[in-house]
Amino acid sequence: MLLEVQDISMVFGGLAALREVSFSLAEGEILGLIGPNGAGKTTLFNVITAFLTPTQGEVRLAGKPLTGLRTSRITERGICRTFQNIRLFDQMTVEENVMVGRHCRSRAGVWPSVLRTGAQQKEEGAIREKTRELLSLVGLTGHDRELAANLPYGLQRRLEIARALAGEPRLILLDEPVAGMNDQETAEIAALIKKILGFGITILLIEHDMSMVMKVCDRLVVLNFGEKIAEGTPQEIQSDPLVIEAYLGREEGE
Amino acid sequence: MINPYYLQIASFILINIILGLSIYITLSTGQLSLGNAGFMSIGAYTSALLTVKVGLPMVAGILAGSLLAFLIGILIGIPTLRLQGVYLAIATLGFGEVVRVLFINWESLTSGAVGIAGIPHLGRTMLAGLQERGFSSEQWGLKNNEFISLTIFIILLAITVLLLAFFSRLFASRVGRAFRAIRLDEKAAEAMGIHTTYYKILTFSMGALLAGFAGALFAHVTGYISPADFTYHRAVEILVFAVFGGSEVLWGPVFGALFLTVMPEMLRGMSEYRYFIYGTILVVMMVFRPQGVLDQPLLDRLRGRRGGGGDDAA
Amino acid sequence: MFFEQLINGITLGSIYAIVALGYTLVFGVLDIINMAHGEIFMFGAFVGMLLISYFEAPVLLALGGAVLVTAAMGLLLERLALRPLRGKKGASHLASLISTIGVSIILENLAHHLFGAGNKPFPTSFADASFTVGSTTVYLVQVIILVIAVLLMVGLSLWLRKAKAGKALRATAENLETASLLGINTGRIIVSTVVVASAMGGIAGVLVGMAFNYVNNQMGLPMGLKGLAIIILGGMGSVNGAMAGGLILGLAETFVVAYGNSGYRDAIAFVAIIVILLIRPQGIFGQALPEAKR
Repeated sequence: MLLEVQDISMVFGGLAALREVSFSLAEGEILGLIGPNGAGKTTLFNVITAFLTPTQGEVRLAGKPLTGLRTSRITERGICRTFQNIRLFDQMTVEENVMVGRHCRSRAGVWPSVLRTGAQQKEEGAIREKTRELLSLVGLTGHDRELAANLPYGLQRRLEIARALAGEPRLILLDEPVAGMNDQETAEIAALIKKILGFGITILLIEHDMSMVMKVCDRLVVLNFGEKIAEGTPQEIQSDPLVIEAYLGREEGE
Repeated sequence: MINPYYLQIASFILINIILGLSIYITLSTGQLSLGNAGFMSIGAYTSALLTVKVGLPMVAGILAGSLLAFLIGILIGIPTLRLQGVYLAIATLGFGEVVRVLFINWESLTSGAVGIAGIPHLGRTMLAGLQERGFSSEQWGLKNNEFISLTIFIILLAITVLLLAFFSRLFASRVGRAFRAIRLDEKAAEAMGIHTTYYKILTFSMGALLAGFAGALFAHVTGYISPADFTYHRAVEILVFAVFGGSEVLWGPVFGALFLTVMPEMLRGMSEYRYFIYGTILVVMMVFRPQGVLDQPLLDRLRGRRGGGGDDAA
Repeated sequence: MFFEQLINGITLGSIYAIVALGYTLVFGVLDIINMAHGEIFMFGAFVGMLLISYFEAPVLLALGGAVLVTAAMGLLLERLALRPLRGKKGASHLASLISTIGVSIILENLAHHLFGAGNKPFPTSFADASFTVGSTTVYLVQVIILVIAVLLMVGLSLWLRKAKAGKALRATAENLETASLLGINTGRIIVSTVVVASAMGGIAGVLVGMAFNYVNNQMGLPMGLKGLAIIILGGMGSVNGAMAGGLILGLAETFVVAYGNSGYRDAIAFVAIIVILLIRPQGIFGQALPEAKR
């Protein structure tokens, strides 16, 4: 198993956002994390990447516990992510955003940077090369000198994916990558996700667009009120009475 | 042609540019230090005492002063930089005052409020050294005091140019990108694998080092220091250099230090209102132009090219 | 001797607590450190001094005058240096810190031009009045300061807990967006917070004048620093923490001065900041660790 989430609970001031959630991902798999709003999906992402320290439980990557590591160390171990409410470095150019994403796979410190040593020059060249590759992969070629803030929304989502890929993750966490997109754009992102899987990168995906989730995911985990209520293939989940109730119950409530 | 008075102002501008850089480098990761006057005084006092009382050569004093400021910067930075930015501002404000109180009260070492006089002078030491080797100012058609002022100016200019080259290369590298990423969104930067605490402590202690270095140079240029040279007002003045000139581009603090050092000299009678003006600048800039007079788009326009981003931070 | 120092410490500590309350109220509601608070405090002290020495006003009137002037200063501060930054795109958390530093420098120099440099006497008719309890001498001025400070703290606590405006203020401190969704006029709450905090600074200024019998235009910075140390000690935004922290610092300073070197009195606040940041960064009464990240 590449990622194991075991008995994770997260309590905020007496309120449980996650209750003993467990599941795992095999290498090369794509798992969809679904559930109504407020079910704890993004909280779980934040726990995996150590933005939050869980009240209880453990996350392991390739068998090694991530407990106590800070976010940057977890990124170095191979988990990169995107954010639900896009968090690009908006006053940097598109190119620079991806170059920053490359940080954990490069090493030049203060002195090599100032002295412009051969190794540093070579590394900087490699960073630019990789950046060009990734920008072309996500369809942003030609935008490299624009400020991230000036990109249209759909392209910002793509840039976030390119930036996360720059860290050469073993596992990438995508938080609602097609939120607010039309069918055409959604299909393009779905194709991009398939390509990423093709590189052997494992994917954990939060998404509300059910038709897309059903199409791209190998398996699904359903959260409701912080608890895992179902896990299985898209077909199994579609016919699961608990899941139907969770979604219908939500609609009744509205 | 060579006017010692102008050269002296130019020398102070250069020291102020180094001070402006000292706060700029800390601001580059979104951290505000109000203790740079304190670090400046540590550099100044360390070098002054080592040269006056121990008799060390000036270069050793200046290096020791800068290094001590750097080490103390790390000590202050470690507990505070793990927390929100305001903690650093408060801790450094307190630090600056404590250092000043210490220098006032530790009379046996520092002569208290009276200060230390007779600090070896950068220009005179150079001249004396050259005269031993048979040089005299007249060979260059200069009077001794002209030669002294010119020497100081040239040394400081060389140092400043080297520092600017250092930082312009640093900011155009992987490390500089990490600094900017932290300033723009610290959490996202951490998620990119950037060890944000390390880089924050790095920029803060580099700022302390530069301030200490500028302080040591100041001691050997003026020949006299006292706690009154390193008050909270000095810390605010240093901050104004960067906030007014521009805190997002390397040329910002350079322009700020240049403009704000020349202005009071040109407008006589303005010095009385100097701090009124500084205070007003801080408020007005935050309201109307928080990035300072110079920013990247303006620099691009001045250079007559568009786009280009910030990878060439100089 | 010990009991006299104890009373000195409590008196001083109660003044510190009031200064710290000014910082903590503003921080709680706006998430801003008002770096000009120390200078507003200093203006309160000067207004009190002017009323008492030139108009021979009674203490209560001096307090009233100081409250009026400093409250007006709070209003101006909010209008000119805080409100224009709020919700402004690209304004970092440093912006308000820097703009209030600007205001503090302006105020300090304004005081210098208006009142001149150096110490100005702050005469009170009861400066030397004292009585003895057992073997302990108690000065009347200490009793007056303590009574005013306690009344102020109790009043503030009651107001925050019971009054409608106080409740709205606490709701705003909890979460600005939610409060505004609940129909609370958060803009007005913010203004009144800054005004109330500034007025408390003004009162503290008069009390310090009474306690030390002099005022000067440099007194804002060291007092501001102590207030800041106290809110780090007590926990940022915590009202109880500000009161407890004030007392702790007042007592610590008094005893260090009594049994040690008075020159280093102002250093204690700084040492407290560093120690607390090392061992308990959220402060004594702080709840969530205010870490920027892990």
